[in-house]
Amino acid sequence: MSALPQLEEDECVARAQRGDVAAFSELVARYQNRIYRFLVRLTRSPDDALELTQETFLNAYQALARWRPEARFTTWLFRIARNQAIDWLRRTKRVEFVALEEGQDLHVADSGPTPEAALESTQRLQGLEWALARLPAEHREILLLREIEELSYEDIAEVLDIGMGTVKSRLARARARLMEKMPR
Amino acid sequence: MPCPRHASLSAYADQAMQPRARARFERHLHACPICQQHLDELHALTRGLRAMPSPTLNFDLAAQLADRLPRTPRRKRRAWPALWQPSAWLPTGVAAGLALLSGVWMGGLLLGGGTVGTAVPAPMVRVFDPVPPGGLCAAAELCRPTKGML
Repeated sequence: MSALPQLEEDECVARAQRGDVAAFSELVARYQNRIYRFLVRLTRSPDDALELTQETFLNAYQALARWRPEARFTTWLFRIARNQAIDWLRRTKRVEFVALEEGQDLHVADSGPTPEAALESTQRLQGLEWALARLPAEHREILLLREIEELSYEDIAEVLDIGMGTVKSRLARARARLMEKMPR
Repeated sequence: MPCPRHASLSAYADQAMQPRARARFERHLHACPICQQHLDELHALTRGLRAMPSPTLNFDLAAQLADRLPRTPRRKRRAWPALWQPSAWLPTGVAAGLALLSGVWMGGLLLGGGTVGTAVPAPMVRVFDPVPPGGLCAAAELCRPTKGML
């Protein structure tokens, strides 16, 4: 799947900007799963997340000429993906939930030393997934960017187009609300 | 130091606190079991979120996108010199300039813009005659120059 794994990211992007489709395909291969998992949890719809993932990369390809090395490519790409999802959420106003496990290729690590511990761990993770899906989109997205994608506060501020102070306060509120919603 | 606000605790958990504030908070943390418990809960939350199963695409998305990527249009071959070459513009520019100057000059002659002492060359004005120089005469009297024009 990865055609040019040896290329540094900046070089890959520069080649893609010059119209090298193979270089752009390499970028897609590197980022497709990260973008998809972010969009799946943000939209709570695997089918729509797949479509939005495609649209993200298509938009990125068309906007590549405007990308500058001063901005991290990761941040730039996540910003496109996030904006796609927010537009979709506004258009559809989805409230129903789709189980993520259906038809999804999930990698579940062995999370406990005993079967009972593993079950408890699995149940806790399911509870976490359930609570996360019920947060407002604003809190869900910042938790995904920080906790799952491990973006820095600066990168999160760039993706969400907010100040650092807002990142700090919003993330704290999101964590507090998630803990409140966790099943006991 | 009183217990910090939740936002500060959250920032500390992310190692996103300024050094002085971090040092102050760590001194407080050593003596406050409540903040220590909250911090432990935040760390557990992070571990739990990162342990959640990760949905992935088990196919090559780039291959699917290949048909939808806009293609760069092929450049058409030009039959004439490229526009950025001076040789393409020079003849046209010179001709346009000469035509403009001729028109302005002859228009000035028509309007009689000369002074009392300025004599208009007669042969030049004759381009405005009913039968200009070189044209075929419909009748001999039309082709004879009038008095005063020579």
